[in-house]
Amino acid sequence: MADFVQLVVLGLLAGGIYVAVGVGFGLVWGVLNIVNLTHGALVIVGGYITWMLFAGLHLDPFLSLPVDAVALFLLGYTLQRGVINRIIRAPLLFTFLLTFGLNLVIVNTLLLLFGSDFRSVTPAYSGQGLELGTIVIPYVPLTALGVAIMLAVVLGLVLNRTRIGLAINAIASDRDAAQLVGIDLRHLYAMTYGIGAACAGVAGGLIAMIQAITPTAGEPYTLQAFVVVILGGLGRVSATVAGGLLFGLVEAFGQSIPGSGSVFANAIAFGLMVIVLVTRPQGLMGRLR
Amino acid sequence: MFLILGGILVAYALLAPLTSLEAAQSANVPLLADRLWFRIATYIAMFIVLASAWNIIGGIAGYAAFGNVAFFGIGAYTTGMLIAKAKWPFLAALPLAPVVAAAFAAVVGLPLLRLRGHYFAVASLGVGVAVGELVQNIDYAGQPVFGGATGLFLPIYSIENRGLFFFYLMVLAAALAVAVTWLVLRSRFGYGLIAIRENEEAAAVIGVNTTAYKVAAFTLAAALTGLTGGIFSQWNVFINQDNTFPIEYNVQMILMALLGGTGTVFGPAAGAVLLQLLIQFLGGTLPISFEIPFVSENARPIVAQVILGVLLVVVVLFVPRGVIEFFGGRARFSLAYLRRSLRETSL
Repeated sequence: MADFVQLVVLGLLAGGIYVAVGVGFGLVWGVLNIVNLTHGALVIVGGYITWMLFAGLHLDPFLSLPVDAVALFLLGYTLQRGVINRIIRAPLLFTFLLTFGLNLVIVNTLLLLFGSDFRSVTPAYSGQGLELGTIVIPYVPLTALGVAIMLAVVLGLVLNRTRIGLAINAIASDRDAAQLVGIDLRHLYAMTYGIGAACAGVAGGLIAMIQAITPTAGEPYTLQAFVVVILGGLGRVSATVAGGLLFGLVEAFGQSIPGSGSVFANAIAFGLMVIVLVTRPQGLMGRLR
Repeated sequence: MFLILGGILVAYALLAPLTSLEAAQSANVPLLADRLWFRIATYIAMFIVLASAWNIIGGIAGYAAFGNVAFFGIGAYTTGMLIAKAKWPFLAALPLAPVVAAAFAAVVGLPLLRLRGHYFAVASLGVGVAVGELVQNIDYAGQPVFGGATGLFLPIYSIENRGLFFFYLMVLAAALAVAVTWLVLRSRFGYGLIAIRENEEAAAVIGVNTTAYKVAAFTLAAALTGLTGGIFSQWNVFINQDNTFPIEYNVQMILMALLGGTGTVFGPAAGAVLLQLLIQFLGGTLPISFEIPFVSENARPIVAQVILGVLLVVVVLFVPRGVIEFFGGRARFSLAYLRRSLRETSL
């Protein structure tokens, strides 16, 4: 029983990271109709910013999260405005390849700058945890889960309560009609991508506190973000939160099966995704489009 | 003009390796190709198959498959296991590679090809990643079934002029892939696939059995890809997850088809030659080498990747219909062309 509860706890904590990674990816996909293969690279850029601030200025990693968000927003805005906007009407294969190319450029630039060494962010309180009987809840992932939920709530509020958010919803439902009522598409597309990238940056900051990062560590997160968004369903932040937590749980339980271990993480993730896609393509909580 | 030039180049590439034969050397024919060129030429032929096979499902049928490398790996491991564990001779094991790859494609194709657009692209990518992971990690009674993380070693195929043998085998596979594409494009089957690409509902209405056609195209692509995988395993003698399931191959084969022009017969082949030469050049394996200023020797593979990424971006942005269009005479390479293609796709 205690093992079971411990697994649930670990699964939910891991799910927090997937929520953080998934919300930005889902936003970009749902609104811009781009499967953003650059997402994992943006996540890792956020991770490196947190690491630099921690290693250079001894800044508490949680305090560096706003810096990640602002820096990644600027990077994302520029990428979309300068590059991706120019291909947005082309078939999906082109945006796919374009974002993959950008991913190559970013990851390898990071490799040139930082090398392939593992970098970790270890504040004084890392490794400590809350002990409830036999169950241990480590502090850092717990706070990260809180931050991820907060990120999702803020994103939801921005999308539903602000002018920008309403405009983003408008372009998601009908691009041409949105343009007719005077929405500046180029700016709004870049804003959407920028917000998605900012979420990725925060996720990267959280990831840097939990695992050692290398420039290539972001790649699995692109695929996992995709699975998370599929699981939950496209088009709603709350669905992505549910998808992320569920994915964390599935992964924790999948790895606890005797003889399986962490080596099958991708196989489990993609098996689950294919099953969901084939049986319930709109996701567990998504709306049919 | 370009046809003649291309013909001369192809003839040279096919015949030059022959000068390495002992008979030719003793007759004092000048040596036109060394071992390194062999290897690169064999790789180019291999990628011609991969790109042409992708073209059948991705270019002609319009389904953006991102996991074709799974078929390559399955083909490689089928042949590899039969030779290394069951001690089959190479030529008996090779025909099973396309068969197993095609069977696998038919099984996963039925559910996957119901998905469209992004969903199909990423689901197929997932299959590619997952199959590689399974092959590396499946254990039976504590022993890795497929050689595990250490990989699988094959006995060296004993034949005179091994390099030459595998080069011509790969070229044969490449010719087969191009011929199959040509046949498909001229058949009822091909027109059906094009109809599916242009508008799947309309194709179904005019009587195309879309499911059967899509699965058949996927299976055909898998068979060709699996065949090369089988040749690769015996040629390379050693296979593991890294060299038979590399994610980069997915992107490279698509970029090659795109560069040459998707949906055409020779486009993917031309793209394969161009891009593979460029990759080898950037990687520094070509005899003609170069120095990148300010970059140390160690950082060069990384810089090569950056250049490849930038190239990908530039090709996608400016030349969405492939470079071969300029050589076919349908369009002129000019600033106006670049600006027009930018305008067509941008916001």
